[in-house]
Amino acid sequence: MGPLLTTVAIGATIFGLFLALSWASRRRASQSRHRLEDALKHLFDLEYRGRHGSLASLTGALRVRDRAALDLVKRMQTQGLLVARGAEFDLTPEGERLALQVIRAHRLLERYFADEARLPLPQVHAAAERGEHHLSPDAADRLSASLGHPSVDPHGDPIPTREGFVPPAAGTPATAWPIDRLARIVHLEDEPPISYAQLVAAGIEVGQMIRIIDSSPERMVLTDGENEFRLAPAVAANIFLENAPQAPALAGALRLAELSTGQAAEILGLDDRCQGYSRRRLMDLGFTEGATIRAALTTFAGDPRAYEIRGTLVALRSEQASQVLVQPLEKAS
Amino acid sequence: MSNPNAVAVLQRAAELRATLTGQFRDETVKSIYAEAERIAGRASHHSGTARYDFDQRIDRIVTSPIFGLPIMALLLAIVFWLTVAGANVPSAMLASGFFWFEDQAAAVFTNFGAPWWVTGFIWHGVFRGLAWVISVMLPPMMIFFPLFTVLEDLGYLPRVAFNLDFLFSRAGAHGKQALTMAMGFGCNAAGIISTRVIDSPRERLVAILTNNFVPCNGRFPTLILLATIFVGPLVPSAVASIAAAGTVVGVVLIGVVVTLAVSWVLSRTVLKGQASAFTLELPPYRRPGILRILYTSIIDRTLFVLWRAVLTAAPAGAVIWLLANIFVGDVSLARHISNALNPLGHAIGLDGVILLAYIIAIPANEIVVPTLLMVYLGTGMMTDDVSLEEIKRLLVTEHGWTLLTAVNLMLFSLLHNPCATTIITMYKETLSLKWTVVGTLMPLGLAFLVTFIVASIW
Amino acid sequence: MSAHDCGSCSINAELARMGVSLDKVDRVVALAGNPNTGKSTLFNALTGLKQHTGNWPGKTVTRAEGAFAFDNVRYKLVDLPGTYSLLSASHDEEIARDFLLFGHPDATIVVVDATAIERNLNLVLQVLEITSRVVIAVNLMDEAKRKNIEVDVRSLSRDLGVPAVGITARTGDGIHGLLEAVAGVSSGSVHTEPLRIKGTPEFQRAISELVPLIESLAPGVPNARWIAIRLLDGDAEVEQALSSGRLVDLVASQQETAQRFSAKISLQGTQ
Ligand SMILES: Nc1nc2c(ncn2[C@@H]2O[C@H](COP(=O)(O)OP(=O)(O)O)[C@@H](O)[C@H]2O)c(=O)[nH]1
Ligand SMILES: [Mg+2]
Repeated sequence: MGPLLTTVAIGATIFGLFLALSWASRRRASQSRHRLEDALKHLFDLEYRGRHGSLASLTGALRVRDRAALDLVKRMQTQGLLVARGAEFDLTPEGERLALQVIRAHRLLERYFADEARLPLPQVHAAAERGEHHLSPDAADRLSASLGHPSVDPHGDPIPTREGFVPPAAGTPATAWPIDRLARIVHLEDEPPISYAQLVAAGIEVGQMIRIIDSSPERMVLTDGENEFRLAPAVAANIFLENAPQAPALAGALRLAELSTGQAAEILGLDDRCQGYSRRRLMDLGFTEGATIRAALTTFAGDPRAYEIRGTLVALRSEQASQVLVQPLEKAS
Repeated sequence: MSNPNAVAVLQRAAELRATLTGQFRDETVKSIYAEAERIAGRASHHSGTARYDFDQRIDRIVTSPIFGLPIMALLLAIVFWLTVAGANVPSAMLASGFFWFEDQAAAVFTNFGAPWWVTGFIWHGVFRGLAWVISVMLPPMMIFFPLFTVLEDLGYLPRVAFNLDFLFSRAGAHGKQALTMAMGFGCNAAGIISTRVIDSPRERLVAILTNNFVPCNGRFPTLILLATIFVGPLVPSAVASIAAAGTVVGVVLIGVVVTLAVSWVLSRTVLKGQASAFTLELPPYRRPGILRILYTSIIDRTLFVLWRAVLTAAPAGAVIWLLANIFVGDVSLARHISNALNPLGHAIGLDGVILLAYIIAIPANEIVVPTLLMVYLGTGMMTDDVSLEEIKRLLVTEHGWTLLTAVNLMLFSLLHNPCATTIITMYKETLSLKWTVVGTLMPLGLAFLVTFIVASIW
Repeated sequence: MSAHDCGSCSINAELARMGVSLDKVDRVVALAGNPNTGKSTLFNALTGLKQHTGNWPGKTVTRAEGAFAFDNVRYKLVDLPGTYSLLSASHDEEIARDFLLFGHPDATIVVVDATAIERNLNLVLQVLEITSRVVIAVNLMDEAKRKNIEVDVRSLSRDLGVPAVGITARTGDGIHGLLEAVAGVSSGSVHTEPLRIKGTPEFQRAISELVPLIESLAPGVPNARWIAIRLLDGDAEVEQALSSGRLVDLVASQQETAQRFSAKISLQGTQ
């Protein structure tokens, strides 16, 4: 090998090593920032529910060793983010402010991923978890604006405002809800993920109207009028309920997808579950309260179908058509 | 840098927003539509419903659960049959005319004492490249594009999207992808641009990455030629063109299946997500404007595609001539390269020359067949009478093609990497090097894989 | 209401198609409308250019510009992508909305499908919130006739407060009348009083409080009311335009070209 080649090779190796090292150190720095932000989030979550964090809760939530958690707590103390009272930790106002920033970013991202990127709900949390550390407060403001300033995330958790205001925790756990009183689901707790996945798999969503028809220590039975959901009480405890706004006393109301072909109906409104892009588009096309609609065409698979509305023909998949509430005008011809 | 006064206004707006009942946008749209109903009620009156019903009846048939899909398949088959049946004769005539001209012109050059390599480079290289491209591509496009444009202008394409959406939704993709695929028949680059009708970024990316599996008009001629030469003769001559058209339709359907399969895989792996909101307006049928159809199909589409092919065919012709006429040892450069590519080519049921043609044709892969023929011919010439029999003799007798070669070449042509224009468009539309690379290499890999499997089990 | 008397326009004014010669134009006219209403067909008829047209919503994906002259005035015509609304912040709508807001067109032709007036009015009413220099082109009159739909453009014009003209873009029917209306509106000789949606009392109160604030922040802003509405809706781009001072700059310099400032967070797929 010529001396020139040797020099070039050595130079390239050194340069490569340098790049790798600086990349590694930058990565370590950002990882430790992410961990700190996760810790803030965890502590705030506990405080929000009227509890306190501890070393044990931190090691559990962040999945780190005691050593690392201790280091983290020290660091947060020196930065003035946290004070320790005995074994319990409390966030300082500055700590709370930072925590709220991360939570705001997280919940806005969840909204984005659910409504606009249309990720499956169980994946929304993990995706937001990755993105939350990279969204600056300004970018979060812009995201919030582009989503139309939503006030809750897809699980029903309130999104802190830019100024750091969060409304108090809403809803009563389903386990404490009286039998047979109509309720609206306002929140689904997404921790632990296994119970959350179970709820989603069962088809339970924020915004749904439900009623508890049976409750025993082994099992709770909920219904949305159509389907029955049988859940272990531990899982049902992750559903938070509020009184239904005013029970829609609309006898004979249907979902658009249930209209038989050729049948006409009047639109009563869009379901709460229909949010984001999908809602905006339907409204733009004239799917508003009071409009007359007719199921006009059905395809081979029965889905999608085309509906006649305001002199135009618009095709919808049944997933969306079932989010439009209608009152049939006549029997199918 | 934000202005404190402005911040105060935004703050106030946010507070006022909280005082409004209901969702602001819902309320806005509701009141707009309430007003719209009032105004439209006064301004527009409907008397009798005769014609309206007529349009609806057509729609009920065209999208019907029973007839919808068969009608679509039938229309596709008719369009291809007309293209296949109508293109052969003019193609052969054009080629004969061009090659007659090539001979005359070359003879004139020789008579005036031009050196052999000048004559060869200009007439047997550049000109011949152009001649092949025009005679292979122009006739099918002149037939296909007007037919396609009539369907487009009638308003049939959205119905196709409507009929096929159930497949796309199962694949995690958007029904409008069918529209963008239809555009891809014309040109994959145009198909990729048309993916802008899909609002969801994820589904749009799926549509961009898979558009290549629709054979564009540059690739049709290859399919048509091969189907005519190799499949036509397998059946009685009366139905030969039907069999050939059926083969082309079959290849297109394979493309659709691959599109759906790849979309399915993408939306379960790297582009995870649910099918998004699907709202598709089915516009009323409108009478096609004849002048517009002629203009769009001939100027916008045919000449556009042809011109691009011509631009790449001329230099390709030159390159081929050089490769065939530069000798290393006593073998031409073209032979050297194709010999080197032969093992790979044979593994996938093709040969080295075909792969060489594909490499030369990267800028615009519609010129693959012309390139192929020119490389096979080398310095040799075709007789004045260029007929399909002549081409078949060249491929089968002299170069050992079999039905497998034809089938695999069709598959390779359907699946392989997009042309340079398409790749550039892909980059422009995604602004992502990563997705452009995926969109380029994924089809290429798939093409090798599929042809390899077919060759192995043949 | 003087949407109809057109004192300055001459009966025998001629249309001259000028293709892409955009250098010395006197006025700018925008073409807006729902997808598939014939905007590009009208654009082609006026400029002599050949924008792609076709019977499926969404085929015009970029902004196209062309020129024509009418009555010795040269116009630049901008064919905007078709949109159902200006509220949804999809890419197309951003292009269309930004141009209407910041491109300062001297007139905007909103092309309306005569066979589906009600749905088309959604966009019309939103455009009227942004700009008052609007002419409604009720296109596809031939299709309406085929379907036995009668359209009373007078009533439309009276209700909307801007001129409305029935046309058939494909054959050129009614285009002369349309151009006369465009000439009148763009020169200012035709006075328009666009209809504005009233909304609920709270809404009106909120608007009337915000409008003066916006006007003092950006003096001379032509459509403070629309900006107030967008702020109430929490429109990202308008908020940004306001807080970065861009809106003020735009008003001050009366820029002629469309400004694009989409700081949209684009997250593609789940990379
Ligand atoms: N019958 C009829 N068809 C028209 C008329 N104007 C446009 N079209 C057709 O309507 C379809 C949509 O037109 P296009 O200009 O592409 O609509 P755009 O989306 O608004 O640009 C095309 O097929 C046109 O040929 C008209 O006045 N009469
Ligand atoms: Mg257009």
